[in-house]
Amino acid sequence: MKNIKISMFILALMLMMNAIKAQTINWGCLNRNDNHILNVNAGLEYGTVFGVGYGYQIKNKLFPLFANVEYSFASGENIFDDMKTKVGLQVRWVDFHNFQFSTRLHGVIRRYENDNIRLVDFGSDLTGVLGYYRKTWFLAAEVGFDKAIITHFKHSDAYHEQYPGALNGWFGPTTGGNFYYGVQAGFSFGKNDVYIKAGKTLTQDFKTTPTVPIYGQLGYNVRL
Amino acid sequence: MNFIIKILTAAFAALLFASCDKEQLITEPGSLVPRTVDEDLTLPSITVNGAMLHAEAFGDPDSTIIVCLHGGPGGDYRYMLNCKDLADHGYRVVFYDQRGSGLSQRFPEKLYRDLGLGAVDLMYDDLSGVIAHYRTHANQKVFLLGHSWGAILAAGYVGKYPLAIQGLVVCEPGGLVFDDIIHYVNEARSPNLWSEWSNDITYPDQFITGKKDQHEILDYKLSMRASKNDVTGEDNTKPGSYWRYGAVINSTLYDIGEQYHPDFSQGLTFFEVPVLFLYSEKNHAYPDEWAARISSVFHPVDLTKIAGVGHDGIVSDDEAWRNMTMPKVLSYFNSL
Repeated sequence: MKNIKISMFILALMLMMNAIKAQTINWGCLNRNDNHILNVNAGLEYGTVFGVGYGYQIKNKLFPLFANVEYSFASGENIFDDMKTKVGLQVRWVDFHNFQFSTRLHGVIRRYENDNIRLVDFGSDLTGVLGYYRKTWFLAAEVGFDKAIITHFKHSDAYHEQYPGALNGWFGPTTGGNFYYGVQAGFSFGKNDVYIKAGKTLTQDFKTTPTVPIYGQLGYNVRL
Repeated sequence: MNFIIKILTAAFAALLFASCDKEQLITEPGSLVPRTVDEDLTLPSITVNGAMLHAEAFGDPDSTIIVCLHGGPGGDYRYMLNCKDLADHGYRVVFYDQRGSGLSQRFPEKLYRDLGLGAVDLMYDDLSGVIAHYRTHANQKVFLLGHSWGAILAAGYVGKYPLAIQGLVVCEPGGLVFDDIIHYVNEARSPNLWSEWSNDITYPDQFITGKKDQHEILDYKLSMRASKNDVTGEDNTKPGSYWRYGAVINSTLYDIGEQYHPDFSQGLTFFEVPVLFLYSEKNHAYPDEWAARISSVFHPVDLTKIAGVGHDGIVSDDEAWRNMTMPKVLSYFNSL
């Protein structure tokens, strides 16, 4: 039952969207005519990753609002086995003397595979960003929570050789979660933004860290 | 664009609804990793030094005891089961999963941390308890056969109790002083952030997280890392490589090592029995010079390279065991 509620929530969230993305945006130089944002990025996030993204500005009278879709994959010999797709909304809520506060809420689909296991997970990622934004540069702090809500496990024959009793199927109601916090900064020229962000990741018990306890990203946006 | 989004939405929704039945808990014992001896009383076990240990013994109970010590910390004795053959040659062969490892009982991380370097003494005390459990008479000889971390533990034990052990086989200990161990581990893992192997280790941290003493989850995550290692020539994906890893004992003993820099070669000068030191040809992190360096603390020592295998193959590879390792080990033990 709980899963159905989660499913309905994510479905409702998605149905609200026209299109989507999760970039780091310079709200200071954004204008109403910037309908699209294209993004490429590379960085460290639970490993070495590369990503692309697309954002679409949803015109409304209340807040600057972007719908986003983002795809990233982990480096290695097989670039299709470990990947993540985020879909969601990005809203700038507050603008006060160039200090701006925005949030991002994304549904996440991710996949992982190695010799022992294939995992497919549905999760969520909620981020708050508070920063100082000018036309040509910005500096901001971000904090967020990335939750693995429900995950499908499919063990390989190799792992079943080690432990025949290992169960396949859906595991929940949650299989994991990590908090993260960090800073982001960037500069803008013409229709372009170059940004960098970096921070630290903590598991949800606040006592342990993932194997890669930091994250970082170098990215480029073009606004169309 | 709208069409694509609708298709994606429909697919996402279908997958989510498909997930609505048969939801399982990752913390449920036995669902992802095997139960430990305190959770499954049908498993063979002994209780020593306040811990239930997964243990078995083969051969005549009154014969000379050979205690097999597995690697890790946090591994188990499954990959060493070839050593059972020694029972057919007149020995009492004892296997046990060390505390917090394999199918043995788990303990909170705090227990080890509070002990500091005493956590290593706890492992020695467990070994003393295992020997005492299987010993049937006072004159019964005891030999140790340790692989990797088990070889380090065995060396440390004979350094501490040089008169308690009458024979020692060490198979490719990374080092015996902590700096050597770390040097070896770094060489063996050769971390490359761009590689598939690295990302296979780090990427799952966003799917599965466990609290400090959620052993099922942490052990499972460590098991998922079992892989081939081209540097050391190991292949932990082969059938029968392990039952269950012990993540807490693994990480905590490493942390304690980093804090206290233990020297497992201490006292070895008092151990006057010849030592058989085995290392493997295909472990590229263990060249001849490294084997010579690490084995130099034993006097006298028979340094032998096992051809055609990597780190674990010394004991786990059937052919290497039958044709090289076992004859060498038997010849050594029979000479004592």
